[in-house]
This record gives sequence, C-alpha cells and structure tokens, in this order.
Amino acid sequence: MRSRDGNQSFLLRYCSLVTFLFLSYSSVLLADEYLISYRYVVKDAIVYNQSLQISPAMQKCQGSVGKSLLLDPSKKENLRDILSLNNEIFINYLHSLGLLVQHSEKTTNMQNHSLTIITMPTQCFKVDFNDTFVKISTLKQLLPH
Amino acid sequence: MKYSLVLLSFLTLSAFAQNSKQDATLQTKQSKSSVSTHKCPAIQDNILKKDEKMLISVIGQGVAPSNTASPAQAYALAKRAAIADAYRLIAEKVKGVRIDGQDLIKNMMVKRSTVRTSVAAMIKNANIVETTFKEGLCEVEMEINLSYSDIVR
Repeated sequence: MRSRDGNQSFLLRYCSLVTFLFLSYSSVLLADEYLISYRYVVKDAIVYNQSLQISPAMQKCQGSVGKSLLLDPSKKENLRDILSLNNEIFINYLHSLGLLVQHSEKTTNMQNHSLTIITMPTQCFKVDFNDTFVKISTLKQLLPH
Repeated sequence: MKYSLVLLSFLTLSAFAQNSKQDATLQTKQSKSSVSTHKCPAIQDNILKKDEKMLISVIGQGVAPSNTASPAQAYALAKRAAIADAYRLIAEKVKGVRIDGQDLIKNMMVKRSTVRTSVAAMIKNANIVETTFKEGLCEVEMEINLSYSDIVR
C-alpha cells in the first residue's frame, strides 16, 4: 500500500540508515570492551583448577588505556577463540598486569598441605579488532582525588 | 653520747642510700647500652630507603600432575604451579607470614600438633629470569625490583 504523499521509500531508506548507524555506533561503544577475570588454584604444588572468564561489557568502562598486547586472530572473530589460540601469551600478559596471591599452609603432625590461589580481579579491557591483529589494552580506572 | 650515736647512724644510712642510687644509675646506664647493642645491623640493612631499590630473587617449585595428556601439558602445568610458588615466596619476603600454632596434649603426650601459615599480597612487575624442568619438577627463578614508591603506593 502506497502512502498518500508518496514519500514512503524515502522515509524507509532514511529510517533504515539511522537504525544502521545507531547499531554500528553502539557496537563500537560496547562490544569492544570486555570484562575479564582470571583465577587458578595450586594445591600441594600441583595446579588444581584454572578459570578465565570473558564477558562483553554491558556498560561503558571508565578510565585511560594502559598496557597493551597484540595477538594474531588467525581469521577468528570471537575474542574467546582468539584468546584460546594465544592462551600462553595472554596469561603471561595477565601476570605482568599484577595478580593477587593468597596462600595458606597447614602442617599437622609433620604432614604439610598447601593451597595457593592466584587471582586477577575482574578488569575492563579495550579490544580493537583488525584483519591482521587484535589489540588488547587495559582500562585503568582513575582514582578519585 | 646518744646524740653522737644517732648522728653516726644517720650518716651511715645516708651513705648507704647514696650508694644504692649510684648503683641504680649504673644499672640504667648498663640497660641503655644493652638496648643500643641489641640493635641488629642486618635488620637495619633491610629497611628500604627513599632513594634506594631492592632486588628480591626467589626460586619457585612446581610439580606436574600424574594424569597429563602430553609432556607439553605437564610442563605447562608444572611451570604454572612453580610461578604461583615463586609469587608466594615474594609475598612472604615482602609482607611477612602470619603463623598460628596449636598443640593438643593429652595425658602428658602430644596428640596433635598443627601449624598454620598464611600470606596475602598483590604482586606486580615480577619477572621470570630462568625456568628449568627436570624429572617432573619445574623450577622458576623470579625477580622483583622494589622501590620505596612502590611500597608507599
């Protein structure tokens, strides 16, 4: 059904353009920031478990860009896949950012048991996707004066 | 005669009191000097001054689990455990260790003896210097350069 003024196609084109621009802008704002946390447990000098949590940020992160890392995407588009491909490099990068160490040891009748928990608290990362490389940078939150 | 005896006894008492005072002052002097000699030079050396840097080096050890899929996985896991151990050693050196002990004694015999130690710290900018892997044991040598501003921050 045609509209009375005959401008339907023009309006439709205009609306779709606005929607497309809004979606692309919002994806640039939100999808390139990820919240990442890392934790591993060492029990009696043996690695017990390890977890790397990755989630797209639902709110825009505040702060300035800190230390960066370049990774080879190998034609992958999902950050999870890229990080699993470059797991060792990324874990070394997380180590350089600083980790929380919690260690407890119990010695009962000369028998020793130890538990060490290494944690990187949830931190916001800015991720720039390119064809040949992926740049991951920390977003340092500025402390209030 | 009586007065002279009273005077003599007063004089001897005052002399005795003076002696005891001198002894007391001597004792305090001695105690002061002992305090000054008890100052350990090694402890003074470990205090980080404003314009100085301190290098802490540790060797962490980790073991590969018995049920690994490949030697590469065993190496990776042992190295990760060794890194955690090295971090723990740095934390212990910088922050110190909390130690709790408990002994249970029944009928004049030690039934159970327990020692618990714990440490928690945030470690940043630690560098791995060397890694060795031999017979399932991985050793990681780690260094950290401390400055006064790092600790104050």
